[in-house]
Amino acid sequence: MTELTQPQPKPQFRRLRALLQNPITVKELRSRMRGRRAFVVLSVYLALMSGFIALIYLAYAQSSGGPYGPDPRQAGKVVFTAVLGVQSFLVIFVGPAFTAGAISGEKERQTYDLLRTTLLTADSFVAGKLFSALSYVFLLILAAVPLQSIAFLLGGVALIELVLSQTLLLVAAVTFALFGLFASSRMKTTLAASVLTYAMSLFMTIGIPLLVGLFSAILGPLLFASSLSGIGEMLLAYGGLLLAATNLPATLIVSDIFLLQEGALFFYKETFSGYSAYIFSPWPLFLTFYILLALLLYWLIVRRIRKIADK
Amino acid sequence: MTDIIEIQGLTKKYGELTAVNDLTLTIQQGEVFGFIGPNGAGKTTTMRILTTLLKPTSGTIRVAGYDIADDPRAVRRAIGYMPDFFGVYDDIKVWEYLDFFAACYDIPANTRAGMVDDLLALVDLGHKKEEQVESLSRGMKQRLCLARTLAHDPDVLILDEPASGLDPRARIEIRELLRELQSMGKTIFFSSHILSEVADVCTTIGIIEAGQLVASGDMTEMKKQLRAHRLIQVQITGDDTTPVQEFLLRAEPVTGIVAGHEADLPHNAVRFDFSGDDETLSHLLTEMVAAGLPIFSFSEETGDLEDVFLQVTKGIIN
Repeated sequence: MTELTQPQPKPQFRRLRALLQNPITVKELRSRMRGRRAFVVLSVYLALMSGFIALIYLAYAQSSGGPYGPDPRQAGKVVFTAVLGVQSFLVIFVGPAFTAGAISGEKERQTYDLLRTTLLTADSFVAGKLFSALSYVFLLILAAVPLQSIAFLLGGVALIELVLSQTLLLVAAVTFALFGLFASSRMKTTLAASVLTYAMSLFMTIGIPLLVGLFSAILGPLLFASSLSGIGEMLLAYGGLLLAATNLPATLIVSDIFLLQEGALFFYKETFSGYSAYIFSPWPLFLTFYILLALLLYWLIVRRIRKIADK
Repeated sequence: MTDIIEIQGLTKKYGELTAVNDLTLTIQQGEVFGFIGPNGAGKTTTMRILTTLLKPTSGTIRVAGYDIADDPRAVRRAIGYMPDFFGVYDDIKVWEYLDFFAACYDIPANTRAGMVDDLLALVDLGHKKEEQVESLSRGMKQRLCLARTLAHDPDVLILDEPASGLDPRARIEIRELLRELQSMGKTIFFSSHILSEVADVCTTIGIIEAGQLVASGDMTEMKKQLRAHRLIQVQITGDDTTPVQEFLLRAEPVTGIVAGHEADLPHNAVRFDFSGDDETLSHLLTEMVAAGLPIFSFSEETGDLEDVFLQVTKGIIN
């Protein structure tokens, strides 16, 4: 007799299905998307975004209007950059706000202990919280894609720019959301978790460039008293790229400049006072750094949740 | 009957403070164990350790045969825990609340709907299925919480102050539910500081004070053991109790006599302390009747749980 077996989903789909059936994900999405609240928030967001893009376009058109009106390719580029700016803000500041209260909120509602006595694993708990928070952020990002398409209508933006920028945003969204989740797992209150989350996000976005700027201002005149040698110039360039790779806006801007000005997606060759060297686009380093950081944060959070309390 | 909870030398210290000190306790399957003690005595700490939420400083604990340190997941599968507070999620319906926790206990989605209905019927909340959890009264929330602990059909229920803060009616409903759960074969370990509620439901009790178990065992037996002297009350026809008092003064196991007018007793009654066993007491009664004393009532006063509690605790913690 032939045995009939149900077709098993492929491992990657099994993982996705488990994530979609995760009790935390189901509960959070059910609560978040219920009623008019989610619809109203999304509508207001898109209305504001549309208004913002219209303003940007008008401002550009007025400032650069030639005899035949503004250059549509340049206008497309401006619109694309503006949408990307808003999306970056969402990823850096709004995403972590959703996750900052994810675990501390359970502690405040006194449901954390209830969950910890169930069979829900720490891994499922963290994955569910992360996925449910990110799905709303991704919804906001995806909802803005039609607005971004206006840039394609005007021209001036290549498909690779869109793919690259959205990949960087996606990875950054996960890492920044994990900042929030990490703070939430450490703090007892959502307020404290939010403060720690924004401290980490601000440090990564503004703090590191400010610190480097400060050190350069103080140490620069001492280190580079004489004119820089070729190697010095090269090291300075690498240092700058390394710094850019820790920062989402900087990576987006520098990678785009390399792509447009040098036609380099990965690297190009540059000569520094006789020394030639390869200059790498910062995005691969950014992706590597942020993925590793995300994995580390995820591991630390799971470990924290799994730990049986001493107090 | 098999031991379902075994606690051996459990100690929990927070720095200098010892919350639970060398607690040893065994609870058998099917028992309703009342864990009583004043606030701050160490009840919740013990329960949090039992439910794998807290690490003990020393000692070994086995629940349903599983060591809490070696196999916490198996312990979680065997227990249903209800803390002394009710955690509420915003914007969640009653059935969703149960469905969510059932999913957290790995109950397959296709069996959850029927199970939720059964649980709601058990705790008499079937009519509130579509209501928001926030809108329920405290008593209803407590019953819902009890239903949640049963989602995965555990052998042991660990309930921390299940009737705390409830009105008398809700308290009676919880008590009835506990009886029903006992009849279903569940072992119930519950804490309380409302002694009457423990006395009504429990088969065994443990009294904890300042982190130490000061008494434990079968409730009826404990009442007897803890009373060094039994109190016997004798009532006679007529008013003169002097012959009875004189007779009792000659009887060896009698240690103290209180006449009716000296205590809150009828005028024709005498109460005496008796240190003998049941047989000696029976013999004493036979002798009194043979001596022609006009006895029409001879009974032992059963002390209530309050007496036991006051006798064994020293009021160290308020």
